[in-house]
Amino acid sequence: MLKIDNLVKVYGRFRAVDNLSLEIGKGEIYGFVGANGAGKTTTMKIIAGLLKPTSGSVVVAGVDILKYPVSFKNKIGYMPDFFGVYDDLKVTEYLDFYSGVYGIEKSQRPKLIDELLELVNLTDKKDFYVDDLSRGMKQRLCLARSLIHNPELLILDEPASGLDPKARVEMKEVLKELRDLGKTIIISSHILPELAELCTSIGIIEKGKMIVSGTVEEIMKKTAQKKIIRMKVLGEMESAVKLLKEQPSIGNIDVHNDYLEADFNGTNEAMAEILKAAIKNDIPVVSFAEVDVNLESAFMHLIGGTENEN
Amino acid sequence: MKINPVIEKELKTTMRGWRAPLLILFYLGFLLLVMYLYFLANDQLSTFGYQQFNPRVAINAFNTLALFQLFLLLFITPILTGGAISGERERQTLDLLLCTSFPTYKVILGKIFVSIAHILLLITASLPIMGIVFMFGGVDIPNLILLFVFYVITALMLGSLGIFYSTIFKKTIVAIVMTYLTIGFLTIGTYIIMALYFFFFHRFDASPNFYQLTGFLFANPFFGFGTVIENTATNNSIFGALVSLAKGDFSANVPVKSWMINLGFDVLFSALLISISAWKLKPVK
Repeated sequence: MLKIDNLVKVYGRFRAVDNLSLEIGKGEIYGFVGANGAGKTTTMKIIAGLLKPTSGSVVVAGVDILKYPVSFKNKIGYMPDFFGVYDDLKVTEYLDFYSGVYGIEKSQRPKLIDELLELVNLTDKKDFYVDDLSRGMKQRLCLARSLIHNPELLILDEPASGLDPKARVEMKEVLKELRDLGKTIIISSHILPELAELCTSIGIIEKGKMIVSGTVEEIMKKTAQKKIIRMKVLGEMESAVKLLKEQPSIGNIDVHNDYLEADFNGTNEAMAEILKAAIKNDIPVVSFAEVDVNLESAFMHLIGGTENEN
Repeated sequence: MKINPVIEKELKTTMRGWRAPLLILFYLGFLLLVMYLYFLANDQLSTFGYQQFNPRVAINAFNTLALFQLFLLLFITPILTGGAISGERERQTLDLLLCTSFPTYKVILGKIFVSIAHILLLITASLPIMGIVFMFGGVDIPNLILLFVFYVITALMLGSLGIFYSTIFKKTIVAIVMTYLTIGFLTIGTYIIMALYFFFFHRFDASPNFYQLTGFLFANPFFGFGTVIENTATNNSIFGALVSLAKGDFSANVPVKSWMINLGFDVLFSALLISISAWKLKPVK
């Protein structure tokens, strides 16, 4: 459904997207994960036909979007991270306007709009002015807008950003419904546990580069090959870092405000030896444990790793 | 027939609320005030004693209103069009339009159509005020139709200019200021350039003929306006001066009317501006 090859976007000397490649099959829900400024939005804007890449290719449903920059747009639905709505329109008028933009016949619109409003749980708000909707409702309305022409690929850039927990749950429910309808979706988010629950595949991007891509299980496995231990220490951490560096089973060390995280490749006995050595060296250890690797910690670990490498 | 959805939406939102009726109210109120002051200044409103009515005053009232409408057109159009695209950008609704297969030229044409429709509404609403002069005679329907056509095409050019800057510049205020500066150049600047030319090269020893005027003023709306009102203007008035500046001489016989040249320019210039705006608006060229 979507194939990106060696995508590059350069702004002056800054490479926002750096040789990024990925492939998403039909019916997949692909989670695009990365910190702010990692290049997610730039990549999504390129896929949506709003930005021209410096080089590389993007093929959506078999159509090269650089060769056919207009016609492919009927195949995609795009929801940006920041968007505005026409506040002076009613909910149905708003969707009617975009139906017109997509060339949908007037006679088909009322039924279509009713169905979409039901999908995003806004049926009871159909006669409200858009201005009177809450942020979460506006997000869902924008999602309905992106679905109005029944696109083959949905591009959702941070659809849950800025929403309160209740609105996030509501948005998640709508996305689950879309998943059940068999839509192909590429979705970026910071809320990683939610992505893990929704997505069939995940790609982690950092500084414009794809660090890792695959199914949620594959990513977990990749990061789980290295165990991570977290050590919380009172006061300064220099002696703890020094001690850890001396251990052959310890790899990369990340120093945070009041704790350390280190890659560990060894047995439980070796871990016990490290703790024993710390106590012997009078290091005031508050806690010492192996970190449960979920998607969030895998992401943080990978991001931390690339930051240290750079 | 499918209606351009941009036109449908814009017409709906423009006419909804209090702004559009208020604009019409102020516009008509202003024209009425001009009319009232004009008749007052010409001593035609006295209710006491014998007074002879001068029909020339009514015809000049028509010319005055026509000129005022042109000024209002020059002032209002940039406000109506300056935010057409930049406003969408500021409201963050532009990307939602551009990520669709809807052609950018239709977006531009829709926006221009709505702004012209708005101006047409103002002009049409003012027709009863203009029609007061019919009570006195001296102005016929073809004069009025020509004036109406002149306004519409001038509004098309001004609207295209506003949309062009609105597409180029991200901020509405910059687009509006640039539109006013360009209008200033077209209306005042071209006269200044012509005056400088005749000062430096001819020392004002001769009046410019029609061809010289056309060369300098073809883009100037007042140049076109000069021959629109030539049938109702008299020699010794500001309107007579406008006619002279459109023909070279008040009573000269010229091969082509200045309004034809000016409106021809307006149509071509509008087509160019619309094409550039539509191209510029395309996110991936």
